[in-house]
Amino acid sequence: MLPRAELKRFAAQAAAMLARDRDLAAFEVYASSTEQIVARINCTGEIVSRGVEEVKSLAADGFALRIVTRRDPHETGSAFVAGDLSTASVKQALAQALDALVVDPDFPGLPPGSGGIAAGGGQKPGLIGVSHLVVARAAWTTLKGAVAEFARRAPPHLRNPGLIIGGDFTLTRERIAIGSSRRADIGCDQDAYFSASVTVIIEETQAKATASAIGRSSEELRRAQTSLGRDAMRRALDSRPPVRPGSGRYRVLIGPQPLGEILSYMVVPSLTSGAFYRGDSAYQGRFGSSVMDPRISLIEDATAPHGAIQRSMTCEGLPARRTLLIRDGRLSGLLSNFYDRNRLLSDDARLRKLGASAPAALDIAAGNGYRIGEHGARSFDTAIHSSASNIIIKTKDGASLAQLIRQVGNGIMIGRVWYTYPINGQRAGDFTCTVSGDSYLIEDGRISAPIAPNCLRINAHIDQVFAAPAALTARSTPTFVWGQPEAFYLPALMVDGLPLASASQ
Amino acid sequence: MKELLDAIAFLKRHGPAELARLAKSNAGTINAAVRFEVVFRRSASAENGAPRRTSEHESAALGISVATGAAHAIGYGYSGIDIGRAALRRARLIGSLRSGFEAAYERARLCEKRSAELRREFGIGAGHWAAAPPLQADKAAAYARDPRSVPNGEIAHLVAETSRAVAQLGREVAFNAISAFTESRHELFIDSDGSVISQAFAVSQGDCYVVAQSDGGGVQESHDTIGQQRGLECLTDGWPEQPMSNPGLTDFSIDLARESCELAAAPPLKPPAGEVVVVTDPHFNALLVHEIVGHPSEADRALKMEAGYAGRSWLLRSLRDNEIGRRIGSPLLSACSDPAIRAFGHYGYDHEGTPGRRVMHIDRGIFSGFMNSRATAAIMGAEPNGSVRASNVRFAPLIRMSNTFFMPGDSAPGDIIGEVEHGYYVCGNRIPSIAESRESFRISARRVYEIDHGQPGRLFRAGSVIGGSKHFFMHVDAVGNDLRLIAIPNCGKGQPMQVKRMSNGGPTLRSRARLAGGE
Repeated sequence: MLPRAELKRFAAQAAAMLARDRDLAAFEVYASSTEQIVARINCTGEIVSRGVEEVKSLAADGFALRIVTRRDPHETGSAFVAGDLSTASVKQALAQALDALVVDPDFPGLPPGSGGIAAGGGQKPGLIGVSHLVVARAAWTTLKGAVAEFARRAPPHLRNPGLIIGGDFTLTRERIAIGSSRRADIGCDQDAYFSASVTVIIEETQAKATASAIGRSSEELRRAQTSLGRDAMRRALDSRPPVRPGSGRYRVLIGPQPLGEILSYMVVPSLTSGAFYRGDSAYQGRFGSSVMDPRISLIEDATAPHGAIQRSMTCEGLPARRTLLIRDGRLSGLLSNFYDRNRLLSDDARLRKLGASAPAALDIAAGNGYRIGEHGARSFDTAIHSSASNIIIKTKDGASLAQLIRQVGNGIMIGRVWYTYPINGQRAGDFTCTVSGDSYLIEDGRISAPIAPNCLRINAHIDQVFAAPAALTARSTPTFVWGQPEAFYLPALMVDGLPLASASQ
Repeated sequence: MKELLDAIAFLKRHGPAELARLAKSNAGTINAAVRFEVVFRRSASAENGAPRRTSEHESAALGISVATGAAHAIGYGYSGIDIGRAALRRARLIGSLRSGFEAAYERARLCEKRSAELRREFGIGAGHWAAAPPLQADKAAAYARDPRSVPNGEIAHLVAETSRAVAQLGREVAFNAISAFTESRHELFIDSDGSVISQAFAVSQGDCYVVAQSDGGGVQESHDTIGQQRGLECLTDGWPEQPMSNPGLTDFSIDLARESCELAAAPPLKPPAGEVVVVTDPHFNALLVHEIVGHPSEADRALKMEAGYAGRSWLLRSLRDNEIGRRIGSPLLSACSDPAIRAFGHYGYDHEGTPGRRVMHIDRGIFSGFMNSRATAAIMGAEPNGSVRASNVRFAPLIRMSNTFFMPGDSAPGDIIGEVEHGYYVCGNRIPSIAESRESFRISARRVYEIDHGQPGRLFRAGSVIGGSKHFFMHVDAVGNDLRLIAIPNCGKGQPMQVKRMSNGGPTLRSRARLAGGE
């Protein structure tokens, strides 16, 4: 990765160059240096495997340029250049941006200067400088923990267990620097965090258990590597023979990971100013209205002190912030970047799109404009979108998980789902997903038999989950969703009458 | 671009010797490969008739893989580096290659050592690697208009005019977004066994997204893609060649918008009870074959290497108990992956340097084989079949579909529908939801027509097909002669997620399944 000082120096040089161009009314230069290291665990007892299948990295340095001409305040162009942070590349990018000018009637200009973002980008993240081999060692330690646990505890009758241990340790590091005609300083930010997930499957007993962690310190990484493999294996070995409930409506305890999936694929994309402008939000016309149970508040907070992801500045150079999306069940805020914010607020159809309950003097902060690349880190070669960092649900009148399990009485606890999709489009709010593991029958207020992985599918609407849960936990647990860039801190919800379909019927 | 192509020429001359030297001087290296990729792309987008963005960019990146060890323990490391225009500085290019090799080698050696320890202590873990003879090849791109020669203004005009035409269809079109790109991609593969393979591709793609709203309050969101491994001509003029023809971007977008308006006014499907006769069209079958045949036929997924992410395969429970050679579908049903077809998933050589070739997955109802890599081929005792590719060179390659499709039969689509007394004609794919091993699925359709006495009648939106994979395939009783491939722009796989382009499709099929509607 490029040092922060080098990124900052380049952004300052580029900004100085662009400031001398008399044809430009405004400009922004965004430089980033990103690295992601992944150690992928794949140990299959009866099929030849490498244990840690591969250790790989991708590194990308480069910069993006946005310009506005003096000819027309709506005439704007953009370009990006990989690898070469030099004055020659700035000239090349400028030529490309000038060649790519468009007159966009909705273009509101570049974002204003941040005024007050610490140029240093806050405290140095603990994992920003660790060796790439730390990730590989963490994966091997985890795998060895799982295998040792299996060797120690597996019953002798498991002759051909069909043991699968899969997962990964992923370390993401990002640095950015922004200079623009709208700010006097060069804004800098940096972050480093890891996610880790281990899935153990024992095919002979149809047991499956997953353990995961997300964090940002070396200590958290160490804890994860010593515990995840062992914990997942213990739970898989402790698993009783699974059951296969039939189709029906059940009282269901939905755990943090399934909630994360539903939020990530269904709810968060609907809580953006872009979705309201396009008219494809599941909450279209319901801004200011009650969309969830009044005991639920949903928050995006890139600055959360305990969040795995910590950002002080957006990719538009604005202060990263806490956005209260749902307050006591009411839709009260939207994820937004500068362009989408202005386009929605100046839209003639704004009142119809937001709904009658939206405040007349509504303002939406542009606090969520990020360039999140396909690998989940900030990247110069990605356009700005409204994105979340740490998604948090806070609850009122919450109970403990044990109390909720007792309260369920007879029902189902769903601990893991996958393939969650808006089956009839985002606006419809219908979703479907498969119950993939870590799920149990609850009988007489106690967890009893595990549910066979992949035998049940949830076919429901988001309101069936969030509008009126029978109960919820007070405590939120960290989780993440494969392939999605956010960290989640979520409770468990108890929902009555959730429709579940047998996947085999 | 020309300058960066010079970097490819430079690496072609000097890369093999440098890689051989690195492999030889780093003990235990059994295979090393360098991929270098130069991409030039022009793109544009417009919304509601107004231009949003045009861009032109070029990129260059290196990917270095190193495998070390022997049969008792193999370690594998990979290093992807976005080098961009710094590749023009030859010392920097060679320096990046060396530093990338060093990082990949250190990772491989650590893994090799730990793998040997695991094997000693617990008796599990090892590695296989199928060697392949070295190849020298040069493969050219196919296009009438070189993507590098297209002015920014032309592609910007195409999307803006298309978006305007869609917006003018009426106030039912609440929102539309049109985007397009044309891209020139050059890939160089060098490995320590002596292969030097150069491939060039031209890719053009257009996307249309529409939100339509009826007076009655019905809303339909539709998205679809057209694309070819061709120049921009396939978007401006359309592309006539089967099995993957497409109209021009403007006609395509207008058709999609009109359909969306019609659907917004249509009622949501009220699903009938129980199983019904369903006739599925080629566009719907593209997603069906993708999810239920394609992904489960990837050997890494079948060998449970993805169990923690995307699941396993219903086609292989274990090496002893699997569907190879067994009937999984009606004798009318066949499916394959064929990278030789010049569709969206076309290539000559994969990213391990193996020539791509047709892989039969289902041969008249019998499951017959997986797409594989050199490592998985060795595990399964098969020959490598050239199915390993990354979405770009920064990522380590994975086993991927190419052009994966149900093969055509003899029946006319009209007859397939005409023979149905009562059933449903399911058209256009939308969203998939599948079980962990893809043994069952729920796939939503854009349009569902009720068939009454052989005639498609009333139109419904928000309909889905729910089926057991084997059950659905075994009940296929008619296969059309209307093979069509669809451009799939966004297949996600791996950690980190790689998004890949490919083609999927098939002819019209008739089977039995349950239907679902809006929740």
